[in-house]
Amino acid sequence: MSSNDESLGGFLQGEQEPSASWAILVLGLVASLTFLTLFSILYPGQNLPVLSDFETFGNLTGGIWFFILGAIFGFFSIIATMITEATRE
Amino acid sequence: MSEVIFMDAVLSTMMIFWVLVFAFYALVHRGLWIFTDVARGMGLFMLEKALGPGIELVEGRENSAARSWIIQSALWLFFGATLTFEGLWLAHEPSALHSLSAWGYNPTSASLSSAGEYATLYGAVGMAMIGASLHIMPRLLGTELASERNATLVSFLWSLATFVLVIGAHDPSVLGAPVLVIGTTLQTLAFAAILINHLLTLANRTRAIALPAWLIIIGLVSDPLALLANYIAGGFETGVGQWLMVHMIGGTFFFATIAGVVLYTASVATGNALWSRTLVGATLVGSMIAINPLGAIDGSMAVGMLGLSAAELAPSMDERIVASFLMAFALIPILAFSGNTLVTIRGEDASVENSDSAGIPEINLGAVMLIPLTIGALFIQGDTLSGVAELSGMATTLGKMGIWLILVPLAFGSALALYPAISGRHLASQNRARWAFWLSAGGAAFGLTLTLMSDVIGMSLLSAGVLDPSSLAHDLSVTGSVMFYGAVIGAILHCLNMVSGLFRGTIVAEASATASSIKADSYSLASPTSVRRILAAGAGMDTEVVPVGESDDAGSATKL
Repeated sequence: MSSNDESLGGFLQGEQEPSASWAILVLGLVASLTFLTLFSILYPGQNLPVLSDFETFGNLTGGIWFFILGAIFGFFSIIATMITEATRE
Repeated sequence: MSEVIFMDAVLSTMMIFWVLVFAFYALVHRGLWIFTDVARGMGLFMLEKALGPGIELVEGRENSAARSWIIQSALWLFFGATLTFEGLWLAHEPSALHSLSAWGYNPTSASLSSAGEYATLYGAVGMAMIGASLHIMPRLLGTELASERNATLVSFLWSLATFVLVIGAHDPSVLGAPVLVIGTTLQTLAFAAILINHLLTLANRTRAIALPAWLIIIGLVSDPLALLANYIAGGFETGVGQWLMVHMIGGTFFFATIAGVVLYTASVATGNALWSRTLVGATLVGSMIAINPLGAIDGSMAVGMLGLSAAELAPSMDERIVASFLMAFALIPILAFSGNTLVTIRGEDASVENSDSAGIPEINLGAVMLIPLTIGALFIQGDTLSGVAELSGMATTLGKMGIWLILVPLAFGSALALYPAISGRHLASQNRARWAFWLSAGGAAFGLTLTLMSDVIGMSLLSAGVLDPSSLAHDLSVTGSVMFYGAVIGAILHCLNMVSGLFRGTIVAEASATASSIKADSYSLASPTSVRRILAAGAGMDTEVVPVGESDDAGSATKL
């Protein structure tokens, strides 16, 4: 067992974060966006469940929202980087 | 005060401005007679003790002020890029953000473009430029910054002022309050503190003032002096005066200050000596004497920020001639600055430092784009002043090109290049910085060029009297806005790189020890060469230079 690993009654949890774990997160994000796009192809003219109940999200027409989503993602990654880097031991 | 106008408004305003700048130059050399020590003491008191416990909120370590300004400039770059992108998008799809009206937010292309200009000019460019100047001035003057704490504290006030200006660009009056004027007041407070800080630093100098320091200090002080000159000449009420204010501040506060910052950075970041002192002098004098043509074709920004009543731009024949002459004259400082920067970056021989390090490609881009865009702006301003206004359809996009292809690359490139010296650490990733440069530069250049093409088609159809909109112009406009999104991604990458670099970047001292992967134990000297070229080939202080014998005798077959 590596000295960096912590044993909790047989349960092992690594202390180190694999560098490629972010790729899984990106994959998940791309997959969810793809399925959201698929939704509009399979059910044209249908509103998205739950989200469409909100007035703003119900009228998300036009491609600009995909770009704004990217910008919001970027903004939150900047905030997340600030927080995680500042609190990193 | 219009009685002081003895010729046309343009020349009289400029002459008052020249006298004020010369008076400032004389005061820097002569001091304030017996009031010098009193002014210095009062200035220091205002910067620190007068703020009471507020000043204890920030640290006063060396370079902490520059770091604070530059990190905030990176954040504003992201907001500026996003707002400009949305403005470009809404130009071809006005109802794209209609759904936000449910939250009471009804942006238009014009309001978003204006908000993007405030965020980029005063947030990204202004903060990067002032941040870099806070690092540069003490080094050029051989002293310390008068008050690191105050400069750090007012960075937040400047950011708040920019935020208020961005709100004001959407709605100039909220609950009856003039938002843009409030933003300008807050910004003036922060600017006054920075100016006093720089002047006190200047007063504590231990060596002669280097030319880039002159550019920075005169550029900064020209902002209030340009306003004062316009006020004395009665330009606040006239369209010509309002137009002139925008161009005087653009040519001095933005251009001259950035020129000083860039010329210092070009030398420090590449390890090359500044190419020509004469050209720096030409840049300094020329930027004060000439009217910079880059910028808007009206004085709407000055009108909004100062709460003036907008007046029609209707120059007299004399004013047209003087303004056109002084704008053409601006090519001298612009060519001098651009040429000096480019040759300094390239050096006269091999570069010892890495000339591809972060920030240098941006400076290169800004210096290269300065000349064609200035010539383009010269045509558009001349066309506007003459009253023909045939090219005014291109003015907005050309203004954006001036911001995103000149001011942002020069100011932010300098901030990136000085980042290691300011923060003590390198950027988190040089590779990410390279990606950010290509995305930003490519996105802004291609996106805005396509938008400009769309504008030209629209203008041609308008002049031909064709009422049907062109599908090609629409497609180009769509593609242009999508491509400009590269600038948004580039800004995000720059921001992440700078923030991570503060915590995880390689420490500068460590990096210097292992900067070169080439370890030359010996160097074969075949022909006469310079020490610079030997060092650039990877040689160090312990490398053995071995002269290789040469002979001019005719060769012969090798004997086996």
